[in-house]
Amino acid sequence: MRPLRLGLCSLLTWMLASSVAAAHTGSFGGGFVGGFGHPLFGPDHVAAMVAVGLWGAFLGAPAIYVLPIVFPLVMAVGGVLGILGLPLPGAEVAIAASAVVLGMMVATAARPPLLVAALVVGVFAIFHGYAHGAELPPGADAVAYSVGFVVATGLLHLAGIALGLTVRWPAGRIGVRGAGAAIAAAGVAFLWRLA
Amino acid sequence: MRPAARLALALLALAPVDAEAAGGARSFSEGLLHPLLVPAHALAALGLGLLIGQQAFFVRRLAIASYVAGLGMGFAALIAAVTPTLAGEALLAAAAMSGALVALARPPPVSAGCLLAAIAGAALAFDSSPGGISVSDANVALAGTFCGAVLLLLAVASLSTRLRGGWQRIGARIVGSWVSASALMVLALILGR
Repeated sequence: MRPLRLGLCSLLTWMLASSVAAAHTGSFGGGFVGGFGHPLFGPDHVAAMVAVGLWGAFLGAPAIYVLPIVFPLVMAVGGVLGILGLPLPGAEVAIAASAVVLGMMVATAARPPLLVAALVVGVFAIFHGYAHGAELPPGADAVAYSVGFVVATGLLHLAGIALGLTVRWPAGRIGVRGAGAAIAAAGVAFLWRLA
Repeated sequence: MRPAARLALALLALAPVDAEAAGGARSFSEGLLHPLLVPAHALAALGLGLLIGQQAFFVRRLAIASYVAGLGMGFAALIAAVTPTLAGEALLAAAAMSGALVALARPPPVSAGCLLAAIAGAALAFDSSPGGISVSDANVALAGTFCGAVLLLLAVASLSTRLRGGWQRIGARIVGSWVSASALMVLALILGR
């Protein structure tokens, strides 16, 4: 087996082992699995994260790899605000709006400068991080929980990027822009629900 | 594959055998698996290993030696009954910093990198204090933790040195950002209490 593949298999083993270890202390649900499921079971988070990946793929290099690297770091800043209980008004509205704005960026094939794109994504990352941080459970499994939701967020970006890489074909371009429009429409529905 | 990496990967494969090690090591085997099964320890080893693996050969050796020295000093202090304080916080801070440096692809100066590795090693040792067992058993468990912590770092650093391709390096940077973000938030959680 090639070393890289063996390393990835071992990483998977470690993740499973950590879950087993967490099960012994009765914190399976609140640990890695709980954190991993947090962004996945929030449709507003899923829509916005996939849109970030789609937009990154649409913008091409270096945005395609800068956005997924910068997003978790900025999200952590929002997470710290949430954990410390500092007020951030309109967080839920901003999260729903992120799906609208990012979806529209993809749908309209917007190509702003990298700095502007990073700023737009970064501002929304703070609100997403705030929501995750406010729900971070105290206790020994907080690390596993936090790793879980950061990894899930990153994997949603990568899913968006993978889908977005189809823009090199004409049909893929239409499909990606359509996906962006669908995300924006979903964002409007999230906003409507909050109103 | 290098012998160190082979050994460390065998250790990873053994992980599910003894999940009790996560609660506090009481024997050599539990000590060996302790750094692997405690999320904060594994996170710090992942961040530091990725950072060390991306450095030049000479710097890599120095950083690993600093980490081992830090571990050794930490364990020696534990054996001498020094009470650990803020070890978990220091470990998470080291993880956050290592991850951020990997994510930003900004290698630190050699001395700063070695200092970071030494602090991470000492903090990991201090955070591995076994409780409620006899002194001789505790020393055996600490010896296991020492071996486990060194092997885990060598495994990650060895894997990281192989990430030379463009996309592989980007993947390492993404994982670095995940490590940093996770550690930073938990650090805020602990300090905010």
